[in-house]
Amino acid sequence: MIQLSRITKSFGRHEVLKGIDLNVGKGEVVAILGPSGSGKTTLLRCINFLERPSGGTVAIGEAKADGKHPSKKDIRELRLKSAMVFQHYNLFRHKTALENVMEGLVIVRKIPKEKARAKSVEVLEKVGLGAKIDAYPSQLSGGQQQRVGIARALALEPEVILFDEPTSALDPELVGEVLEVIRRIAKEGITMVVVTHEMGFARDVANRVVFMDEGAVIEEGDPREIFAKPKQERTKQFLKRITPEPNYSI
Amino acid sequence: MPGAKFDIHYVFDYFPKQLSTLSLTLTIVGLSILLGLGFGFLVALPRLYKVPVLQRVSQVYVSFFRGTPILIQLFLIYYGLPEVLKLFSVDVTRTPVLAFVVLTYSLHAGAYISEMIRAGVTAVDRGQVEAAYSVGMSGFQAFVRIVLPQALAISLPVFANLVIATLKDTSLAFSLGVMEMTGKAQTLITLSQHFVETYIALAILYFVISFILEKIFYVLERRLLKHERQEAGAGTGRRFGWRSAPTLRNLLTGTTRGRGGARARDGRSEA
Repeated sequence: MIQLSRITKSFGRHEVLKGIDLNVGKGEVVAILGPSGSGKTTLLRCINFLERPSGGTVAIGEAKADGKHPSKKDIRELRLKSAMVFQHYNLFRHKTALENVMEGLVIVRKIPKEKARAKSVEVLEKVGLGAKIDAYPSQLSGGQQQRVGIARALALEPEVILFDEPTSALDPELVGEVLEVIRRIAKEGITMVVVTHEMGFARDVANRVVFMDEGAVIEEGDPREIFAKPKQERTKQFLKRITPEPNYSI
Repeated sequence: MPGAKFDIHYVFDYFPKQLSTLSLTLTIVGLSILLGLGFGFLVALPRLYKVPVLQRVSQVYVSFFRGTPILIQLFLIYYGLPEVLKLFSVDVTRTPVLAFVVLTYSLHAGAYISEMIRAGVTAVDRGQVEAAYSVGMSGFQAFVRIVLPQALAISLPVFANLVIATLKDTSLAFSLGVMEMTGKAQTLITLSQHFVETYIALAILYFVISFILEKIFYVLERRLLKHERQEAGAGTGRRFGWRSAPTLRNLLTGTTRGRGGARARDGRSEA
């Protein structure tokens, strides 16, 4: 489904990604973990070219783009096959929850308004916001805003949804509702790549975890195995520092 | 005291006479703002997109038109531009004065408008543009659908000020002999020597128009910024009468029920 090969990225002289290979299969949920500054978010953003890699190739299904010299069309293809949920929600502030979800369907996918509306309402109900479809982002709590963000991604029916630390900006008591929604859509078999700090969530929901440090993949594999007995020293240290959240479900 | 003895009747008498030139004043304002928007956009774009040489050019343009009095600009363009155009053998001696006046005011307004657009666009956070890209929008779509509407709403108060300032600045056009409201007032004074009455009528006119403009912009602003209001319109944030009635305590502490601190924090922190 997703194939990243030899992705590199430098900001000036600073090398953030040092040639990363990553394959994600259809329906797989991959969690990317690692200390801050390890390049996880940059890697995720390279998948839909919000960040342009300095080298390597990105492919989602049929769509493929050269990291360094992508054509506009290639980038567009990748973005049509993916959707992203942001750390700071990044909702369109001048649009209601419903309009936020409809925007991509109507403007990009050219779906007729009525159909797009029905679809959007359905997805918003799915994330538990059926009663809030006419609310503007400023009238919603962080957790609700993030659920709109998830609905916006979900409505596009992308081949993969990219989550960029979806709960990092939330107040602790709001984390649960968002994780619960993500967990539910994970069960539906949607391919997901999740950058997260929620270890418990990664352990329970992900099929595979990828540990990154200093721009490289240190270790990857089945979450239960890796959390129980990590092979690499750096992974051990990282896991020791982070005490797992005991309970996040609502 | 110069002129004739004060007679309040002249105020009422001159009011409609000056009012008859209102359309010319508003024409100057309207055309100048319209053209100014065009100039403003053209000038703002190189600075927003950091186009090497053009960026410098627009900086110079903006600081010139903001840094010199509009009266001087009027004279410079009225007397100077024909001279410059003569070098390219373009004859503008038959061009009406009004054209020069509108050109000056629109260049002047354009300088402010470009700054206004720049500030508005930068105020819309980058994250929304990324979100627009992530759903597959092109750069143009993201700008037109996401950035521009918000930038305009943010800029509206500044824009309102500019329109009103331009209205008042048109009073200088009479110095080139344009018969707008102030020009008309001058001729009335020359005829009757009733200075004070004429200026009272004139002041009232400018004030009333400014006042109306202010109100219109206020309504517009409320409509365009309705998404930033925390109190919801129909269908959202339904609050029941007895619940939302403020108690003395939350009046004193400035809090309302059911609005957690979380909202303010996570809503704004990304700005």
